[in-house]
Amino acid sequence: MAVVLFGLTLLLFVLLKTMPGDPARIMAGLGATPESIEVLRHRLGLYDPLYVQYWRLISGLVNGQLQAMTYHKPVWTVIVERLPATVELGVAAVILALFVSIPAGLLSAIYRNSPLDYGVTTAALMGISIPVFWFALMLMLVFGVILHILPVSGRGATLFGWSFLTVDGLRHLIIPSVALSSVLMALNARLTRASMLEVMRQEYINTARAKGLRERVVLIKHAFRNALPPVVTNIGLQVGTIFAGAVLTETTTAWPGIGRLIYDSILRRDQSVVFGLALFMGACYMISYLIVDLLYAYIDPRITYD
Amino acid sequence: MISNKKNAFLRDYLLSLLLPGLGHIVRGWWRKGLLFWLFLAAMCGTLYLAVLRGRLAWLAGPSEYWFSTTMLFLFFAILWLWAFFDLRRSIRASDEKSFVQGYWQIVSRRFSKDPKGLVGLGIIAIVCYVAIFAPFFAHGNALKMDLVNFLAPPSAQHPLGLDNFGRDVLDRIIFGSRVALGIGGVATLLNMLFGGFLGLIGGYFRGVPDAVIMRILEIVNSIPFLVLVLLIVSLWGAGITTLIVVLGIFGLGPARIIRSEVLSVREEDYILAARAVGAPTLRIILRHVLPNAIASLLVVTTMTIGVNIIVVAGLSFLGFGVRPPIPSWGAMLQQAQEFMRSAWWMAVYPGLCIIITVFGFNILGDSLRDVLDPRLK
Repeated sequence: MAVVLFGLTLLLFVLLKTMPGDPARIMAGLGATPESIEVLRHRLGLYDPLYVQYWRLISGLVNGQLQAMTYHKPVWTVIVERLPATVELGVAAVILALFVSIPAGLLSAIYRNSPLDYGVTTAALMGISIPVFWFALMLMLVFGVILHILPVSGRGATLFGWSFLTVDGLRHLIIPSVALSSVLMALNARLTRASMLEVMRQEYINTARAKGLRERVVLIKHAFRNALPPVVTNIGLQVGTIFAGAVLTETTTAWPGIGRLIYDSILRRDQSVVFGLALFMGACYMISYLIVDLLYAYIDPRITYD
Repeated sequence: MISNKKNAFLRDYLLSLLLPGLGHIVRGWWRKGLLFWLFLAAMCGTLYLAVLRGRLAWLAGPSEYWFSTTMLFLFFAILWLWAFFDLRRSIRASDEKSFVQGYWQIVSRRFSKDPKGLVGLGIIAIVCYVAIFAPFFAHGNALKMDLVNFLAPPSAQHPLGLDNFGRDVLDRIIFGSRVALGIGGVATLLNMLFGGFLGLIGGYFRGVPDAVIMRILEIVNSIPFLVLVLLIVSLWGAGITTLIVVLGIFGLGPARIIRSEVLSVREEDYILAARAVGAPTLRIILRHVLPNAIASLLVVTTMTIGVNIIVVAGLSFLGFGVRPPIPSWGAMLQQAQEFMRSAWWMAVYPGLCIIITVFGFNILGDSLRDVLDPRLK
């Protein structure tokens, strides 16, 4: 993981150094004189060797001193300020997705090859095919513009930095989280179905049926319990999907989270925020991967890590 | 008696040359014959539209007219030849009374019985057809502005309405299909070549190359694909070529799947046998590993096209994909966002097109996965 993290910083650094445009000019603003830009260049260390610049970037990120170029705050402060919005959006989307997709996948596996199964699998394929931003636009159109039930954009009132604690904030949360959860619903419904079908092929299901258990007990206690863990742990592997979806949903619905932040920072050419955020997303992904690996070992005693 | 039979064959062949599908129908294969007639009707309709709109041009006029005209006549030629040779093959096959079936015969029979795959193939065929003959189907062209009637709602003249510059939404959708399929298709080709190369090397040679390749994959995969592409495209400047190259190189999803497929194939006995008789590595890879991994390659390709179309739409939506005057579904949605309150038609239809197209690829991939698996009978 350390190797991958190091490689990621290197990749991002190389990419950022190829970015056209002079960071000093952007930081100095429009009315800056050439002399002041030159001074700023020296202060930013743009004339230093590349490895010095790389080291400064990394150490600045680690000790929290790296300044955002356009926000006049340290990078971490900017990210942490925006983080709760994305966390609650992501968590709401995941919860919503699980509540819909697990029963759907379960039913579609139990009633395999029935109209219900075809409906669920088709809907799931549809869900994968829907661009989240378009889904968000449609929700805004129907519930915001036509029906006037829900607010179309923004985060609404917040309490302690969280919007799900207020009624207004909760209302604002609905459209983005439903949009973001659409793709998660589809993925997890397919996964639940596949996992359930896999379990139902096992010998112990036959055994359970043979010893005369009621079908409901077989399905719920023997099959479903064993089919669930892979589905839940897989949420951890969908962190990347959630981040990518968050960039699109947050930009569409003006939700002020880190997805919106990375988009804005790319537009403003704020290299340090882009670097910090991309690294942050990568680290989140790797950590969740690690957690999933450990969880597997915890859930399934047959797996051991030396 | 024999000469009679031969004459009958000759008659069917002549009928088939006269009108594709007629020979099939006379022989009683009416489903296939009607399918040929359907194709023929669609192409005649396209020809009619082209003549009606005066866009049937060759070596004169805009180059996109030539392209579509050439393709149309090529399609006619292909249809005629295809009907003829298909009839000949079918007649010979029915004569031989052979019951041995190859893998691809089993696959094609199973595929023709799978409604999912047929629906997907149908959708993709229609979208491709529209993309190829876009200038014939479009009313005007995708760039013509009507600055008096801008934001006009759907009407008989403009079935899907006008956008904020007074451009016909339907025309832009029709031309947008070229962008979506073109970028999605070429990027996927690059994905398969590049990712396939990496996956093949990693899976076949294992050891150090595999470790290096896997680390690279992990690094690239750790950032969400959309964010990575967004970052790179914003650095290198948006545009169709950049988009294709970036998607093609950094879309390493297929590499992982191909690697795992190659890993399992290389353990098979026939690979061992090939190695034992001293076949060179390149030959083993080309003749034994690749053909046996083709099933999952096909599935991955189909699914990847869908993914790429969605990513391109997302990038264009964020303003980093296809540049505005060129019609693309994602960029149309970006414009639509500003006019949500006044012009819903700008937002609804391009999105529907993205969904339908991507759904076509996904459902085809899903069906291919079932159909190509030799273990499922």
